[in-house]
Amino acid sequence: MTITGAGTADWFDVKGTVPTPKNAKRLKDGTIGLITGLFLLVALLVLGIVVPLLSPFEVEISIDTPFLPPSGTYWFGTDGLGRDVFLRVFSAVYLDLGVALIGVLIPFCLGTIVGIGLAVSRSKTLNAVAGSIIDGINAFPLLVLAIALIALLGPGLQSVVVALSVTNWARYARLARTRALVVKQQGYIEATQTLGYSKPRTLFKHLVPNVSSETTAYALSDLILVILLIAGLSFLGLGAQPPTPEWGAMISDGRPNFQVAWWPVIFPGLALCWAGVSLSFIAEGLTRRERDVKS
Amino acid sequence: MTATPIGSGVESAVRAQEGEDGPRPQPTWEKVLRRTGRAIIVAFWVMVVAFMLIRLSPGDPVSAALGADAAPDTVAAARKALGLDVDPLTQFWNYLTGLFRGDLGASLISGVPVTEMLRTNMPVTLWLIFTSVTMTLVISLPLAMFIAMARIPGLPYLFRTLTAIGLALPSFLVALILLYQFGLIWQVAPIFGYDPTFPANLQYLWLPSLVNCVVLVPVLSRVLYSSILDTLEEEFVETGVVRGVRWNRFYWLYVLRPSLAPTVVLLSYMMGVMVGSTVILEIIFALPGIGRELVTAVTMRDYPVVQGIILVFGILVVFLSLIGDIVASLLDPRVRLT
Repeated sequence: MTITGAGTADWFDVKGTVPTPKNAKRLKDGTIGLITGLFLLVALLVLGIVVPLLSPFEVEISIDTPFLPPSGTYWFGTDGLGRDVFLRVFSAVYLDLGVALIGVLIPFCLGTIVGIGLAVSRSKTLNAVAGSIIDGINAFPLLVLAIALIALLGPGLQSVVVALSVTNWARYARLARTRALVVKQQGYIEATQTLGYSKPRTLFKHLVPNVSSETTAYALSDLILVILLIAGLSFLGLGAQPPTPEWGAMISDGRPNFQVAWWPVIFPGLALCWAGVSLSFIAEGLTRRERDVKS
Repeated sequence: MTATPIGSGVESAVRAQEGEDGPRPQPTWEKVLRRTGRAIIVAFWVMVVAFMLIRLSPGDPVSAALGADAAPDTVAAARKALGLDVDPLTQFWNYLTGLFRGDLGASLISGVPVTEMLRTNMPVTLWLIFTSVTMTLVISLPLAMFIAMARIPGLPYLFRTLTAIGLALPSFLVALILLYQFGLIWQVAPIFGYDPTFPANLQYLWLPSLVNCVVLVPVLSRVLYSSILDTLEEEFVETGVVRGVRWNRFYWLYVLRPSLAPTVVLLSYMMGVMVGSTVILEIIFALPGIGRELVTAVTMRDYPVVQGIILVFGILVVFLSLIGDIVASLLDPRVRLT
């Protein structure tokens, strides 16, 4: 475990001499990450269906003494109102992931359309004004702007989705616009004009798919951020409201009694990490595989 | 970033800036000036967005704040006090001129001017950001350098896996666990309170900064790591090896300095995320910063305070990313600022 300095040339890999087996191994690494991520995600989604179906307990109704530690009956213990934490954690899977998915899809579509529209349009004033508004929105931290919008809309998950749509589209728009400007210069777009393709055909069959491949890659990593953001907003009491099983709200709910009972806080937190880590592995695996194919 | 033809090591890359060899890149002062100009334009749009946010709200902010059963006279008086009784353009003009006079309005609840609130609470937030960035850099630089240079089989793989996990950790959960462990079990950190004087405040800030590190170090060290790998393939590094440059000069000047530029650009981009997470951290650690004021104002529906604070947050991020970009261009003159 030595760091060899300059002068001893053995640390230095000359580009191009890397043997193929190493490349083959890197491809496998990306695949392992991808498979692990997919496995974790599918497992979480399956548990999200199975646990609420098979559990003998009720999600929102007290069933036993508060703060019972994890045991054979209550695997994750009971929370401050005597509800089964195990059931509540897995009841929240589809709520958390679903809201996050909607919160990514709406800005994704909106931003891609606006971005491509700006890149295609010839109006300079439109581009200047819209570009400045996009920059202005992007300058705000997402969480801060979302909090401010929720101040206007009132707390709740619908407000969170609206706030995300209003703020996050600008990031996609900027990405799509930059990408569309590059794609527009490519030979294959020029070729469609030479071949006399109609404008809609060029736009929807050639420009849009090439732009959205880029924004899709961003959307995947954005999904992780949005999951954390939604849980964070609920933790602040601005998203999902208490009786609803939602990870951030559950953590916030258990927080005052953290010293007495750690389980109502830690288990929802672990579920949140589980969701994030599985997506993070998928994103990581995909990018690494893509890089391998390219090189 | 555009590549400059490099003939004789990193010094020539640095010299190229003065136009001694290679195609003449943008002079530094011109880059800085252009970037500052763009920052000012963005700051203007930040003001516009902060202004529009409240006006575009569904329903009347004033009656929402005062409650549905407030007397019409009270509502009318409050509207007048907020300057909401004139047409939108005049409102915008009053808002802009108010900004330049340093007047951000006053709280609907307590009547305290927003600027007064900022004066007491802003330093806490700024300190938290400063200590977080410093700690992140202190951890990330040696970490990424070590993993890129120490050729231990499997280490980069472990590093990527761990950072992929770190990317997905919610900061509020990390904050709760660390606060419990350090504050209550080991009792090495205060669990609430703040001391505004300089050396004493670090005692309150190191733990929240550490939480920010858990979020930022994975992102930053990852980019720095791949950036160091890219730098190692540059010709000037090869030149350095051939010349037998002393190891500390080699690491700092040949490898680290050019690798830092993309990292600093990313750091300036991450400022938004970090400023956002300070809001949550200020609440968990009970620090009297503006993030906590923001959430209080949101729950009280105190619109002038919300407007003032998000404006300050927006301007803060614009300013921080301006600094980041300028530092990046000073570190690696090949960086082009738009």
